Amino acid sequence: MNSRFLSLLRKELIDAIRDKRSVMAGLYYAIFVPLLMAGMMMLLIDKLTSPEDLNITINNSSAAADLVAYLDNQGIRHSNDKATTKAIEITIGAAYAEQMHRAEPAEVILIADRSEENLQSAIRRTERTLQRYSAEMASLRLIARGINPKIMNSLNVKMQDQATTESKGGQLIAMIILFMLLSVFVSGMNLAIDTSAGERERNSLALLLSHPISLRQLVLSKVCAVSIFGMLGLFLVLLVSKFVYPFVPWQELGFNVDININFMMAAFIAGVFVAFLAASMQLFVSFMAKSFKEAQTYITFVMFVPMMLSYAVTFDLATDELRWAPVTGQLQALIDVMKGKEIPLLQLAVSCLSTLLISIALVLGMERLLKSEKIVFGL
Amino acid sequence: MISVSNLSKKIGDVQALDNLSFDAEDGQITGLLGPNGAGKTTCLRTIFGLLKADQGIATINNIDVAIKPVAAKQQLGLFPDPFGIYERLTPREYIRYFAELSGLSRAAALEATNRVIDDLQLADIADRRCKGFSQGQRMKTALAQAIVHQPKNIVLDEPTRGLDVMSTRILRDMLRKLKSEGHCILFSSHVMQEVASLCDRVVVMTEGRVVAIGSPQQLCEQTNQTSLEEAFITLIGTDEGIAA
Repeated sequence: MNSRFLSLLRKELIDAIRDKRSVMAGLYYAIFVPLLMAGMMMLLIDKLTSPEDLNITINNSSAAADLVAYLDNQGIRHSNDKATTKAIEITIGAAYAEQMHRAEPAEVILIADRSEENLQSAIRRTERTLQRYSAEMASLRLIARGINPKIMNSLNVKMQDQATTESKGGQLIAMIILFMLLSVFVSGMNLAIDTSAGERERNSLALLLSHPISLRQLVLSKVCAVSIFGMLGLFLVLLVSKFVYPFVPWQELGFNVDININFMMAAFIAGVFVAFLAASMQLFVSFMAKSFKEAQTYITFVMFVPMMLSYAVTFDLATDELRWAPVTGQLQALIDVMKGKEIPLLQLAVSCLSTLLISIALVLGMERLLKSEKIVFGL
Repeated sequence: MISVSNLSKKIGDVQALDNLSFDAEDGQITGLLGPNGAGKTTCLRTIFGLLKADQGIATINNIDVAIKPVAAKQQLGLFPDPFGIYERLTPREYIRYFAELSGLSRAAALEATNRVIDDLQLADIADRRCKGFSQGQRMKTALAQAIVHQPKNIVLDEPTRGLDVMSTRILRDMLRKLKSEGHCILFSSHVMQEVASLCDRVVVMTEGRVVAIGSPQQLCEQTNQTSLEEAFITLIGTDEGIAA
């Protein structure tokens, strides 16, 4: 009983490893996705942390040399180049110097269109910078008069940020882990088609079924082979990520993506369930398909289901409910591990159990399919 | 021994098998002769339990294939059409794999594989991947797969189709050898020459029914013809779908 299963599995794996297309599918994903993600994150972090220079129009700047120097220091400066200049205009009042000198509110006019979507952050930035300058000047005036500038702060609001370093980049971490988990689906995909629809197309399915093996042995060996491929894909993604992600300056975002042994272990345990589900789903639809090509189409649709569910998690939709569900449950548990939060074990257990139950149902379904003459001979 | 009694099977609107009965005895080569579309392949697939008969039973060494499929298949070797070769495996791996699936232990499968490779003179290609094999090389690999576990009963579906003279001769010699060793051999064919030269008994079928059973000699006598070909045409009433 067992030795036949092993013979079947051994052959499936040998056959798969020699199939360049199947191997490449997993390999490409495992290598390029972490690289692409890392590249994307680097660009994103760069954009978020070092704001570009903001070119605006400053009129009558000679009247307020100190203010202009301050703005320049903050990356806001006057430019005549129409192409790069934002439609924001600061006009220093004619009496600015005089008013400053007498410690009266000096007039600065800020001209911009607040309804303009693209200008929102630039306008806010300009306002904030002007206010900071104003506050700094006020403090200096108070000090000059022998008054502690703290007198101006009647409230002392202390924000105690509950977020740990890891929990901050929520969406980004969710996305990184989602793409890791999806490797399980992608890596086994080609093998799943090859070993089911492909097997029938090459006329070896009927020969295989003519041998004294049970359908369960046959189906399980295929599911296991595809799952093993999925897990290899996951392992590769983790490995590549471990070496690539340290190059991304996560700390600038205030969190860290550390692919340590703990996380890898957790990913592997969660991954086994997902891989088993992915394999049985993909094999099921490929057995139903009439040809290799048709199977490829169906399998793409299969990918959509976990993708959509996982995107829901990434964008924080129905997060709590999805903790109980297959794939999303494991995804959220892994996100928790990465963020250093506690994992709700009950939800994870239910999620894993439901993943397993669906897989078993699909295995039984495949056994039924293979009893059908229509499926085996494509009648 | 393979025994088929009162098999009926409808595929779609076609009555593929219609109350079909015959026996294939041990130590004999039985030919299933019929024009294209007579139901030969359907009959063989039913013997392997791949198709379920609407009526009637097929037994292998008195084991009903519908009731105990695994035990029945244990007694069978199949040479299928098409061959179902795994192109990424070598013949040695391919033969050993199916030997293991037929119930041989890993060690025994290895030994049996080596033996059948010698018997069929496959050694020169045994460790090359099957991709790009000629039809003759594929035939030999498929034949080795069918007989590696020395099944009591061997079923061949259109075995000589697409083979050159040399390959056909190897096949014939092998079948005669197996017969002399007491195996039960059942093969389907629409090639008259092959059936006439090999078979001890011929089952002539058309439209899913048995028309006549007997040795080539008996069939000729029965129809008052001098050649099997003429006898066959007399029996089925047409020469459509048959090859000389």
